[in-house]
Amino acid sequence: MKNIGSVFAAYIIGWAVFFLFYVSVARRTASLRADVQRLKDSLNKR
Amino acid sequence: MSLMSNTSALFGKELRTEFRSRELLTTTVIFILVVVVLFSFTFDPTATESRRFGPGLLWLAFLFAASLMLQPCFLREQGNDTLSALRLSVPDPFAIFLAKLGANTLFLLLTEIMMIPVFAILYNVPVFRVFPQLVVVLFLGSLGLGVTGTALSAISAQARMRELMLPLLLLPLLTPLLIASTEATAALLDPKPTLRWDWLAFLIAFDVIFLTALWLFGEYLLEE
Amino acid sequence: MKKDGLFAFVVVALLGYSAYAAFYIAPDEKTMHLVQRIFYLHAPCGMTALVAFLVAFVGNVGYLVKRENKWDWLGIAGVEVGLAFCTVVLLTGPIWAKPAWGVWWAWDARLTSTLVLWLLYVSYLLLRTMIEDPDRRALVSAFYGVFSFLDVPLVYGSIWWWRTQHPQPVVFTSGGLDPTMRKVFYLSWVSLTLLMVLLIRKRYELEELRSEVQALEREAEA
Repeated sequence: MKNIGSVFAAYIIGWAVFFLFYVSVARRTASLRADVQRLKDSLNKR
Repeated sequence: MSLMSNTSALFGKELRTEFRSRELLTTTVIFILVVVVLFSFTFDPTATESRRFGPGLLWLAFLFAASLMLQPCFLREQGNDTLSALRLSVPDPFAIFLAKLGANTLFLLLTEIMMIPVFAILYNVPVFRVFPQLVVVLFLGSLGLGVTGTALSAISAQARMRELMLPLLLLPLLTPLLIASTEATAALLDPKPTLRWDWLAFLIAFDVIFLTALWLFGEYLLEE
Repeated sequence: MKKDGLFAFVVVALLGYSAYAAFYIAPDEKTMHLVQRIFYLHAPCGMTALVAFLVAFVGNVGYLVKRENKWDWLGIAGVEVGLAFCTVVLLTGPIWAKPAWGVWWAWDARLTSTLVLWLLYVSYLLLRTMIEDPDRRALVSAFYGVFSFLDVPLVYGSIWWWRTQHPQPVVFTSGGLDPTMRKVFYLSWVSLTLLMVLLIRKRYELEELRSEVQALEREAEA
């Protein structure tokens, strides 16, 4: 099957872009959620 | 109408400021000349090649010149906070933009018209038989440069690395104008010159769209 | 939180199925054969990028008129997601072009327009990094976002008309779409649009959280 490699490459690269974007956003979101919790806790302690 | 009289008063101020020293006009003309000469080393300057590459290179030179020449537009209003004074002096802030873009368009047009004979000589292209039509194309293109460049100058004045930000913001935005102006100019410099109304209409649309957007939202850029 | 997870699962499942459809269900195309199947990813990504930029435009106008931060969050989310989709278009285009036409880049109208759009919106992101004050940053980038979006039809129009005057043989479509091809195309388009919604929501949430952290930090200092 000629060019099957190209089709695979295109789909994998395409999905990789979306996956990397999602992971980057999810990681930063989780870290900020932790910050929110930490700040709320320290404010409650006052 | 109050907007017109305010605009013409500010426009007069912009002209007087520039013509007192003429430094903006002279440096811009020399810059375009340098770019045009440098470009000629990048291809074989025969008559056919010049006709193919000439118009595009000319407009690229105008675009680069504009993105440099428009830097001081709002930057010089930051020292001594003259921008606040301007804002207080007119009820409609759009007058400030209109005056500045009018002046910028005029300065650009003047530098371009001064460059045309030099371009004609260096690249051996016949311009004088189509000179009036060429001025129309130059005017519509310069108006687009003036509108977008003045707006973006107000933006970049508020950012860091403003000397690099203005060209960076302006040049991709001007892609349609570059294409339309180049095609219209190339058609005029052809052995059988034609006035391309389709590209001229496109330039007019470009100018109207961005002028309207500037009218609707421009005042927010001048806020404290 | 659970609703989010469910939605993400549905999106991934749909994407997987649309890829399967692109590989196995869609019929073979006459001239380009296998390589043409990249079309089912490439073309809908282009359209979805434009929709994402439209969402950003709505956010930008919303901020200019209302001055509430949530519009700014919508703006930045739309631009970043739109850029992601643009990037996929720009990466899959050459992967399709090289086997199909022998060249990596042929200055085809749609691909060239997408490249200009990519540059335009990358400048938007760069502009945001160059302004410290958050309110000023939101205001200024909203204005530039409006200008950028107004440029989109002008870019497409001028480049398309320009290419029509100087045509070349590379065409990134599937000719006349046969009914099965059309169904696979729509499936792919729907799943990518849902992906766009998912990504914009996640990115918007991130900005919302960032604002909450800043508010809490200010309260902690007080």
